[in-house]
Amino acid sequence: MSPIIEIQNISKEFPARRGFRDLRGKGGFTDWIRGHKEEKFAALRDISLSVEAGESLGIIGRNGSGKSTLLSIIAGVTLPTSGLVKVQGRVASLLELGAGFSPVLTGRENIYLNAGLLGMRHAQVDAVYDEIVRFSGIADFIDQPVETYSSGMYVRIGFSVAAFVNPDIFLADEVLAVGDEEFQRKCRRKIGELREQGKTIVFVSHDLGTINTLCERVVLLDNGKMMQRDTAQKTIIYYLRQVGREKGIHTFRDGAEEAIQCDGRITLFHEQEEISASTGFRVHLTSLGQEHSSTDAEWEVSDRNNNGCSATGSMARLPIQLIWELSFESGRLLWRIAMVCERECPVTNIAINFQIPVAYTRWLYGDLTGGFPDIEPTDTNWSVVVAPEAKSTETAVLPEAGSVMPPLMFRLQEGSSRFSLFWANTEYANYSRVLCVQAHFPDHDCVFSAGRHDLVEIEVDPTIPAARIEEHVFSSRTIRSGRVTARFESGCIRLLWDDQEITSYLHVYTSLLIEHLWNDSQSLQWRSITPIPGGIRFVGESRRFPFSQEWEVLEAESGIQLRIWLVTTDALTVQEYHSTVVLPAEYTQWKTDHEQGEFPEYDSEVPNWKHCNQSYAPGRSITSLSGTLPSITMSVDDECPQVRMTAINTSLRESSRVLQALHPSDVGRLQFTAGRHLYFSGTIRITPPKSE
Amino acid sequence: MSFTTYDSRDERQIGRIIPDLIKARQLLFDLVWKDLRVRYRYAAMGFLWAVVEPLAFTLILTFVFSFVLADRAALANAASGPPFVVMLLCGLIFWQCFSVSLATATTSIVVNKNLVKKVRFTREVIPIATCCMPLVQLGIGFLMLIVAHLFLGGRIGFSLLYFPLLFAVQFSLTLGIALFLSCGHTYFRDVGNLVNVLLLFGFYASPVFYPLKLVYSDRLPVWAPYVYMANPMAGLLTAYRQILFEQRIPDITLLIWPVVCALLAVIVGAVLFRRHAATMADQL
Repeated sequence: MSPIIEIQNISKEFPARRGFRDLRGKGGFTDWIRGHKEEKFAALRDISLSVEAGESLGIIGRNGSGKSTLLSIIAGVTLPTSGLVKVQGRVASLLELGAGFSPVLTGRENIYLNAGLLGMRHAQVDAVYDEIVRFSGIADFIDQPVETYSSGMYVRIGFSVAAFVNPDIFLADEVLAVGDEEFQRKCRRKIGELREQGKTIVFVSHDLGTINTLCERVVLLDNGKMMQRDTAQKTIIYYLRQVGREKGIHTFRDGAEEAIQCDGRITLFHEQEEISASTGFRVHLTSLGQEHSSTDAEWEVSDRNNNGCSATGSMARLPIQLIWELSFESGRLLWRIAMVCERECPVTNIAINFQIPVAYTRWLYGDLTGGFPDIEPTDTNWSVVVAPEAKSTETAVLPEAGSVMPPLMFRLQEGSSRFSLFWANTEYANYSRVLCVQAHFPDHDCVFSAGRHDLVEIEVDPTIPAARIEEHVFSSRTIRSGRVTARFESGCIRLLWDDQEITSYLHVYTSLLIEHLWNDSQSLQWRSITPIPGGIRFVGESRRFPFSQEWEVLEAESGIQLRIWLVTTDALTVQEYHSTVVLPAEYTQWKTDHEQGEFPEYDSEVPNWKHCNQSYAPGRSITSLSGTLPSITMSVDDECPQVRMTAINTSLRESSRVLQALHPSDVGRLQFTAGRHLYFSGTIRITPPKSE
Repeated sequence: MSFTTYDSRDERQIGRIIPDLIKARQLLFDLVWKDLRVRYRYAAMGFLWAVVEPLAFTLILTFVFSFVLADRAALANAASGPPFVVMLLCGLIFWQCFSVSLATATTSIVVNKNLVKKVRFTREVIPIATCCMPLVQLGIGFLMLIVAHLFLGGRIGFSLLYFPLLFAVQFSLTLGIALFLSCGHTYFRDVGNLVNVLLLFGFYASPVFYPLKLVYSDRLPVWAPYVYMANPMAGLLTAYRQILFEQRIPDITLLIWPVVCALLAVIVGAVLFRRHAATMADQL
């Protein structure tokens, strides 16, 4: 089949305009009399192009590069000076919405007139008339003269006509920049639909994001010449590099990584492959219920260098300047965001959105990991994928197997404590994943004083190999000591020996019996993780009772030192509590201060945990041994309240061995007054197995 | 080959004018309708203005020539001819149709440049639609003419059937010149002004408010009538009067030159317009 649009070697020259004002000017009347040649302006030079049916072609280029001339030649509005254009099928041009509307006529009359201009008979318009009106959403005003319409209504009806006259080719010139947000979305969806129906779309825009999502191929024009013609992504990259000299744009790189800051949007590349989604990385500010995007700002790049820049963007409708400092440090992109308020200004929400392609399928966040659900065509809004209560300053995503994309790790640097992260899927039209780094300021606390406010510093790290990414995500909650690794997850600690897990099921945890309810540490709300000298401190709060726990995990020789405080805000009666290590079934022997024994076989008849030791005298330590795994010793120190060391066998289903430092109920109920009470202090040590 | 297929090589072919126009007939109708609506929609009197205009013109001219200049204007006293009012009206409505058509059609492309620059369609439609507009006025005026003619004791007969034939000649002439001028106007905006001047000149240089025979007066040089008759409207307007007042086929000698002019105008206008139509948008 022959191409639907065929352009062969076309050039277009515009003659100099003659007129009174030019009588003495160039190309003017006197020149003509004297026989001077007219100065001609070449808008297009030798362009060849063909578009197949169903293809969508984007045209980009700077102002005055000939985009609109090319479009009007395709539309048949004017002829090329030389060369050949062949177009098969009905062309609906959205060169200017509502062009040809007569202000005095009613909306209805204009629909018929405009559709007539696009080559439709009245009978054909009758068939789609209702749809046109419904889509435009101005049914109430359809019999009013269009001169009474607002400009938005004008555009709506113009787009609706063009969209519903069932053209084979759709020419659009910056049309989506008009109308309100909702109508723009509607238009994009309609254009997407037309594309799926196999219509050909030729699209001119400065909005590279839209071009990227809508167009399969993109042509770059510069000074009337075709510079590049390739896939959307490649052409856009080429274009951005080309225009990099312009003031709001800067390209910088480090090794395989390359980033472009383009007027408030950051695009990131790894080995020439774009790892940000089409809309890139941007900042959104919400003030007085209005959302403002960094791409709305007027940007200026200062301090350009090869691996970074700083850029200042003056927000269009806020007295705020965004200041970005961008740099690469050994392959990691550092993005520091500050805000300068010219005067007091309320900002209720600050969100930094990192949009990345759907090729990323697995996320790691805090101690959680999971897959992104697929984005369905019915998704019209963002859907949150993971937003744990536990704040974490780090998160990562992994691409699907075999992808060229690198794993990405995002890290909030210190001093960004107001910000939290969550992952979401975008709506279908955008079709990407997004990491939202967000800070919400409640109404009583949202006014920023005049002056500079440092907001957040984020590191995007594409350099970590997929195999090591987990380790990196968990590094803030991990302690290493020789061959031992201890990793905190919400409410428990996993112990690893040579990177192999030696605890199981509930791992190292604590539990309190209050009002006949066991409150496992896993059920607390763990919000804060802070590094302290030699270790980490975690705080978890109970949702049911007025207490919280503070854990301090410190590095100790071949093991960890663990101290646990109970912080009560009110008097609290605890019937029993324990601190426990849960081990896999490979551990066969136990030993306390007073006795030793072997864990028995599991009895499928017994559903409960079964104590193995006979003596309940207070003790200082308990050890478990295994033939192949290293032995584990839990011991308490002098500060620790009196405990009884107990060895327990779980039920068959759980198949674990348990070492417990128990504070049992038989010594009477424990009364805690409001305050901070140490209730466990000791070490967990791991020694190599005998076989080594 | 469907209507919607577009090939830059074919755009300027003269042979495509007729098929293009046939396909664009509905658009032509729509545009005429649009112009009418735009013109009369919000006027309280609506289409009544189409009556008032020629009526007022007739009244003022009648007043001037029958009363103010009655002594000098021998033409008004010509006892033998038809009543002055009817004679005047007979010339005036056709002249106005010609003159308004040309004046508006000349600038029509420029006036509609938002269409021309944005959408591809058969460009001839615009000046043609503009020329169709005054037909409404003409129709109303013609009815007034017949009524006045009968009222003042005139008679009508089958000779009225010659009017459409004659008007077809005038309309072709109008269309041809309109195409030519509207095309010229896109290149030189002087054309619009020039046309207005020429039309004013033409109003006096055509037998609108005097009969043709006054030109053959002894006081004028011998060559004057020949120069005068070079204006095709002179022959046409006189022919209209012959149909109405003498109820006969108009003199063929009067009509040869207008028919030749009309044919020439249509051919030259259409060819020229078609050659420039495709790139007209560049000039706007």
